[in-house]
Amino acid sequence: MLGNLINQGRIKSPWVVHFDCGSCNGCDIEVLACLTPIYDIERFGILNIGNPKHADVLLVTGTVNHRNKHVLKNIYDQMPGPKAVIAIGACGCSGGVFREAYNVVGGVDKVIPVDVYVPGCPARPEAIIDGVVAALEKVKTLLGMTA
Amino acid sequence: MLDTLVFVTVLLPFLVAAVLLVLREQNVRKVILVATAGVLALASLAMLRGGAFIMSPAPLYDTLITLGDFVILFVVLFVGIKRKNQIIIWLSVAQIIGLIILDFFMVKEHGNIPAFFADDLSLVMVLIISIVGSLIAVYGIGYMKEHEEHLHLTKSKQPQFFFFIVLFLGAMNGLVLANNLLWMYFFWECTTLCSFMLIGHDDTEIARKNAERALWMNVLGGTAFLFGIILLQKVVGTLSLQEILARGPEFAVAGGAILVPMFLLVFAGMTKAAQAPFQSWLTGAMVAPTPVSALLHSSTMVKAGVYIIVRLAPVYAGTYFSNFVALFGAFVFLATACLAAGQSNGKKILAYSTISNLALIIACAGINTPAAITAAILLILFHAISKALMFLCVGAIEQKIGSRDIEDMRGLFAVMPRTALVAIIGIMTMMLPPFGMLMAKWMAIESAHGQFLLMIMLALGSGVTVLFWCRWAGLMLGTPVAKAKPEAQDITVRAPLYILAGLALVVSFFSPVVYNSLVAPVVKMYYKAAPYALPYGNFDSPVGIFLVYPLFLLLGLGFYFALKQARKVTAAQCSQPYMCGEQQTVDGKPGFLGPLGLHVPVQSGNYYLEQFFGETMLSKWINVIALAVLVIMLFGGAL
Amino acid sequence: MITKIILAILALVAAPLLGALITGVDRRITAWLQSRYGPPILQPIYDVLKLLGKEPMVTNTWQALCAYVYIVGAALSVVLLFTGSDLLLIFFVLTVGAVFLVMGALASPSPYSQIGGQRELLQMLAYEPLLILVFAAIAMVTGSFKVSAVFEQTRPLLYDLPLMYIVLGYALTIKLRKSPFDISASAHAHQELVRGVYTEYSGPFLAMIEIAHWYEVILVLGLCALFWSTSVVGMVVLVAVTYLAEIIVDNVTARLTWRFMLKSAVGMGLVLTLVNMLWLYAQ
Repeated sequence: MLGNLINQGRIKSPWVVHFDCGSCNGCDIEVLACLTPIYDIERFGILNIGNPKHADVLLVTGTVNHRNKHVLKNIYDQMPGPKAVIAIGACGCSGGVFREAYNVVGGVDKVIPVDVYVPGCPARPEAIIDGVVAALEKVKTLLGMTA
Repeated sequence: MLDTLVFVTVLLPFLVAAVLLVLREQNVRKVILVATAGVLALASLAMLRGGAFIMSPAPLYDTLITLGDFVILFVVLFVGIKRKNQIIIWLSVAQIIGLIILDFFMVKEHGNIPAFFADDLSLVMVLIISIVGSLIAVYGIGYMKEHEEHLHLTKSKQPQFFFFIVLFLGAMNGLVLANNLLWMYFFWECTTLCSFMLIGHDDTEIARKNAERALWMNVLGGTAFLFGIILLQKVVGTLSLQEILARGPEFAVAGGAILVPMFLLVFAGMTKAAQAPFQSWLTGAMVAPTPVSALLHSSTMVKAGVYIIVRLAPVYAGTYFSNFVALFGAFVFLATACLAAGQSNGKKILAYSTISNLALIIACAGINTPAAITAAILLILFHAISKALMFLCVGAIEQKIGSRDIEDMRGLFAVMPRTALVAIIGIMTMMLPPFGMLMAKWMAIESAHGQFLLMIMLALGSGVTVLFWCRWAGLMLGTPVAKAKPEAQDITVRAPLYILAGLALVVSFFSPVVYNSLVAPVVKMYYKAAPYALPYGNFDSPVGIFLVYPLFLLLGLGFYFALKQARKVTAAQCSQPYMCGEQQTVDGKPGFLGPLGLHVPVQSGNYYLEQFFGETMLSKWINVIALAVLVIMLFGGAL
Repeated sequence: MITKIILAILALVAAPLLGALITGVDRRITAWLQSRYGPPILQPIYDVLKLLGKEPMVTNTWQALCAYVYIVGAALSVVLLFTGSDLLLIFFVLTVGAVFLVMGALASPSPYSQIGGQRELLQMLAYEPLLILVFAAIAMVTGSFKVSAVFEQTRPLLYDLPLMYIVLGYALTIKLRKSPFDISASAHAHQELVRGVYTEYSGPFLAMIEIAHWYEVILVLGLCALFWSTSVVGMVVLVAVTYLAEIIVDNVTARLTWRFMLKSAVGMGLVLTLVNMLWLYAQ
């Protein structure tokens, strides 16, 4: 029973931490826009918690380069499981227009496992919220909560 | 039997001290010290079993005491002349003249007054001195060995050191058992001289300077003491403490004539207890080896000061003077707690916290209700145990890490887990329920109930106290490894630490028993009322209730549960601290991965709030205010 | 004795649930004030359930100990309040938890945790004297520090101690870390502090701290209720109005510095206390 309740909680309370991994700030603005009254993601229990140790979902924007890949890895490692990663924007998904640059590693999935890709340049807030919902659906399947 | 016990607790230390002075053999000294400690502890327990008594030794001793008085005074005078210290010279000359007048012209019936008397207050004091003091002496064996190795002394100075340490214990026992105030005066001066010699033990420039300061402040107190008893002889016509306690209140009510000698004696107590504006001698005393500081701060010396104030409390109960004593105590409690909060030097924090706690005891004596006196006696007891423990910990830590700064004790648990844990136990027993110190503080605050000015100062003071203890305890835990290798330690160092930590916990648990058997009788004797009923071992009065056993049970269970949960944590679950993902650990030292891939170790520091708690700025004001209160106390109290 | 045990169990079980609901309402009203829809009322419970299910992670084992001692202290103080024990004793037991929370934070070398711990100490320094003064003032009126003595009063304490109620409110804002005194940690994202004193507690340990926070909310509101002890309706209204005021203050003020907090808490606390005491004497 407690297990069920905890799973309920997991679905209803995804706390996110947002990491700007060398983004142009376009996607970052859109992520923050989700917090504003218009989109109000707190409706779904989503909090931007700002601390990987408290977070369940890692939102990554921007390309990964050689200078910051260890930071991305560290932050991911500091999130206690179960956890999900959402790559946001063209850069986060694949490296975007920078993917061939000498200093760029590529998309987020080159360093850590990514669960959901949210494309767009920049990704719209609706798309980001959709991404979180998709991640939750994935978690639901993993927890065996859907038929 | 009684003769033997008094002999063992008072005279034996003097004799043992003499033996230690000439003895140069290390191992024999160790055996003698441990044996003396054991005998003293047993004798004090036996004395406690025997209960209250009155005793007069042979008249010969009276003469010896008089002789001893003059010897000490001339030694002090000699020190004053040698150091060219005008204050010491004139104060000791004044004392010599005063003593001649008192001894040869005023006191007619020498030997008619019983020299010793003991009630439960004295017996509790003897217990503290003989057990806590002895443990510190034992700790001194291991400590001084390392201390002298560290200093590379060619010729050991340990004989003198232990001479004065053991002498100190005897003098303190004499002081708290004395009935004849002339005897008490002798022991009083003994402790002054001993502390002077011990503070100056290392014979460095600063040690000499601080020892001299301690001497003049305490000689000032001694002078006040002597003139206090001269006036007492004039007013009451006797020097028997028992009689003064019995008849004093009449004089206090009649015309307040007794309040001037009371002021002098309480003033003497305040200098000995290092109250503002005399706090600098005690903070200066930390230059001495740690066992000395531990002894001065916990079981002896400063406790003599508060002992005399609490002892005389029934005489001045209900007077204006008493209110001023309470006010003074509460003020110093707050002021020195603030000073402690501004320090990073561990020993200095302890020193100021000692002064602060002593001031609380004095405030309780000034409040002068049965509940307040109960609080005062319990504070004396619990403070002695916990503070001795803290000092011994800091001493052991200092010898290991080479610093007494609390900033350097960050992550101490990784280096010396056992001492760190004992120190944390010490801190917890200092400030948290259900332990005795906090219970006594609770009594103190509740007995100040209705006096709002006192209440305000006590409230602010206890807030500040939590601040400086809590951060000290917290930073010692800061360590990356959960399981550290226990440190090696001499048995004479480790045993006192463990015994004191055990005592701090166990005596707190049995505080209702302690109250019932030791404190309540003496409070009832002087105040005709016991402040607390003990249903189920809870301190209950109309004013409030303190749950001892339920709290111990519930908090204990909670703590046990917490510990079990903490045990479940495995090494695999340990992660790096959050440093924005830039963390990097090199050789077990956490830090950042800096520019060019360099490792930048983490450095953190406490807030010391210089702006509010800066020592130089604050001390000046505290001294001025304390002095002003003292002056008002003298004139206001005498009126 | 039996009633006391029942009350104690009630306090242990019901208090956190009620505290969770109040916190949920708090978040809802806050959202409403910000023209948002806000999370469900049960959101705090979902949060804690999720945290309980997370993988435990610590920087050292002491933190686990500290988190659990924190909740024990908070729960015990609520039990003591419900069983009509001594006000000062309740306060001291509450301190046990607070001290351990800070110790756990200081046990981690993370700068955010360190600063959070230090600031939490300053918050304690600010609210502790105020609470003792409020309790002392209550004791002045009732003649005892016992909670049970408050309920023997024939008229509400608020008549005698109106200014002390303001002092209590001030202390409680600091204790609950509500804006403008969310200095050591905050429910909202103050990224420069990360999560302050909570930074290094995570998963089930953070859940313990959240539950302890619910206990604290109940304790705090219980203390407020003492000021209208004569009728249940009065208590509920007083508590509701007070909490609403707290929420509004939380939303309309910006965070202040710790210096301002210390100075204003001590200064204003002392002045209001003295005036109220003079008024009490004059009566």
